[in-house]
Amino acid sequence: MRASIDHILTSHVGSLPRPDALIAANHAHDAGAPFDEAALREAVAEVVRHQRDLGIDIPGDGEFGKPMSQRVNYGSWWRYSWQRLGGLNLDGPGLYDMAARRSQPGQVVLTSFGDRRDRRQFAEAYADPESGITTGPRPPAPICIAPITYIGHDAIQSDIANFKAAMAASGVEEGFMSAVAPGSASRIANEYYKTEEELLFACADAMHEEYKAIVDAGLVLQLDDPAIAENWDMVNPEPTVEDYKKFSMLRVEALNHAIKGLPADRIRFHLCWGSWHGPHMTDIPMADIVDVMLAINVQAYSFEAGNVRHEHEWKVWQHVKLPDDKLILPGIVSHATNVVEHPDLVAERILRFTNVVGRERVIASTDCGLGGRIHPQIAWAKLQALAQGAALASKQLWG
Amino acid sequence: MLYSTDRILTTHAGSLPRPPELRDMVLAKASGAAVDPAVFDARLRAAVAQTVRAQVDSGIDCVNDGELSKTNFTDYVRWRIEGYETRPWSGPRRLSITARDETKFAGYFEANPRMRALGPPSMPVCVAPLRYVGQADLAKDLDNFKAALTGFNVAGAFLPANTPGTIEHWMLNEHYPSDEAFVFAIADAMHEEYQAIVDAGFLLQIDDPDLPDGWNCLPGITLPEYRAYATMRVDALNHALRGIPPEKVRLHVCWGSHHGPHHDDIPLRDIIDLIFRVNAGSFSIEASNPCHEHEWRVFEDVKLPEGATLIPGVIGHCTDFIEHPDLVAERLVRYANLVGRENVLAGTDCGLGTRVGHPSIVWAKFNAMAEGARRATKLLWGRA
Repeated sequence: MRASIDHILTSHVGSLPRPDALIAANHAHDAGAPFDEAALREAVAEVVRHQRDLGIDIPGDGEFGKPMSQRVNYGSWWRYSWQRLGGLNLDGPGLYDMAARRSQPGQVVLTSFGDRRDRRQFAEAYADPESGITTGPRPPAPICIAPITYIGHDAIQSDIANFKAAMAASGVEEGFMSAVAPGSASRIANEYYKTEEELLFACADAMHEEYKAIVDAGLVLQLDDPAIAENWDMVNPEPTVEDYKKFSMLRVEALNHAIKGLPADRIRFHLCWGSWHGPHMTDIPMADIVDVMLAINVQAYSFEAGNVRHEHEWKVWQHVKLPDDKLILPGIVSHATNVVEHPDLVAERILRFTNVVGRERVIASTDCGLGGRIHPQIAWAKLQALAQGAALASKQLWG
Repeated sequence: MLYSTDRILTTHAGSLPRPPELRDMVLAKASGAAVDPAVFDARLRAAVAQTVRAQVDSGIDCVNDGELSKTNFTDYVRWRIEGYETRPWSGPRRLSITARDETKFAGYFEANPRMRALGPPSMPVCVAPLRYVGQADLAKDLDNFKAALTGFNVAGAFLPANTPGTIEHWMLNEHYPSDEAFVFAIADAMHEEYQAIVDAGFLLQIDDPDLPDGWNCLPGITLPEYRAYATMRVDALNHALRGIPPEKVRLHVCWGSHHGPHHDDIPLRDIIDLIFRVNAGSFSIEASNPCHEHEWRVFEDVKLPEGATLIPGVIGHCTDFIEHPDLVAERLVRYANLVGRENVLAGTDCGLGTRVGHPSIVWAKFNAMAEGARRATKLLWGRA
């Protein structure tokens, strides 16, 4: 994959604002109409062109093939897998309606979304419809009732074809496509497998097909696995760091199993602490899980670093050695605020990282996907600020 | 003067959450509805006492009354001056702080109409000499705050008041022969409020978002034109501050607290000399949001006025994420290294009261600021 050889490259985490026509097409499809393939193809072509014009070096397809039928939607990065995996009853209880589960020392389990610790600590803020802590629709969630299989072959081939056509039309050589990791995909109700571990590895085996298709197509694969960090908030009561790491290392093993045989230098990993606009007081510190992240067999690591809960964590890299052949994609602009990052701040944040790990090892990115999480005009302004700030940083670093 | 002599002190920019019943009464009063004055006064007094206690409990060293009696930081002046009549009005204020952003982000403001800085449904029009008539309301504020402070040994106590340049955002002038005469007349009226706050023994905080955000109100203006515009308003403010020792005054500036993109806020560097032209001893400046966070570097080559202190915003209203205490400490140390640790107090970008998603977020942010100030103290003094 490309590295910042002669300037700071820019990329982002994946989701970009869907045009209204595509949202309408997805909505119509939800209601039973045949899907408008041409609308999707044209939207992907346009979003790749737009990224190129803004100065994004390594664009994505905006995750436009992962259906979003609303302007505000924080979940399509994950929910798309419900359409691509067999063995699911799609009409289970919503994620917030499930029963709470309590962890014991030495035995970590995930509780329901409604019982997450930040949500409990700030119950009134989360319950207030005017507070702005919104995450969009809460559809029914699946229950695993049969062996998990991959059934998304047509869908992933269509995503790949749309993206590659768009890249060719815009003259872009390298692009990335995201796919959900087993640890995040397996956070569903299970009535089939004997253990959660079995479900986890079944998801790994099934999703392998999607990962392989993306890599075989010559695209950079981005594995989305916020669960590695944000599960911490979903364990109630708070576990020991040791217990949590053990729990998470199993998810890392499943992920490494899922990418077995695929070239590490074509894969990047994305970590975040959940993209909702809440206080995030219960986020686990990066310092506590950085070694878990680095155990994932990929070449590059993307993580949140542009919001006020994690901005200080650039210092983690003063104490943790990034292996020589690895790259990082820190979040430099964020969905956490509507205020657009100043290019000078973007440059300052980039330089903090390059001063520690070296200029060739840093690709400037976003905290999380911007689509569905922030107004389209603001999302584009942030990507533009990212590119402008990266240019300022490049000037300082290469002269 | 309040210095961080042996540790980094904390303060904030003004508004704090208020109980819903009190908020409803303040708004009802403002809309002209009948509110039982005895009930209102009792509620307000109790709420001010509670908010002082909550600040102390959250680790705030220099506290205020949370602006609990006021509709907001500027409109309250409507009930404290006379010489105007009100006319029906809809839409933005005379000068709108989102005007510049709206030229580039029309779609965003259309989709989020609440983000537009709208004014009240009537416009005050100055038709006669302006006169301060807020003595009774102000006396209540002073008295409530004094009573609330009883029994607490706080490092500092401040009360905010608004400025001529910001009052001008929502009042038309048909009486005075020029903008300058109008703005200086507002200054003469507000002088009385400023003097009374200082005479009561409090630190006077001058809320002057207009000094930076007038730029946002006037999308077509050039920088030299804007500097002339702002200079006249600073001179009017100094006229209003006449006779008050600078060490009794702290200036708060911010770029307007709306949650929009703030894409074209005027750079601090372009107005820092005008900020320091204000006869204040302490300067509270928005500095934590991503549009202004990089501006700590301005102080690499700009010196604070002799004896002055700086209160950078180290926590902000632009996100409901709670700042990590280590980030707060990192920000404070940056400033301390440039202007001297004793000259830095930890502050907020703007009043947090009505500007973050929920009251619980205000107090969590204050706790994070206090903890961050402790960590910065440890880094700067080598001890807790």
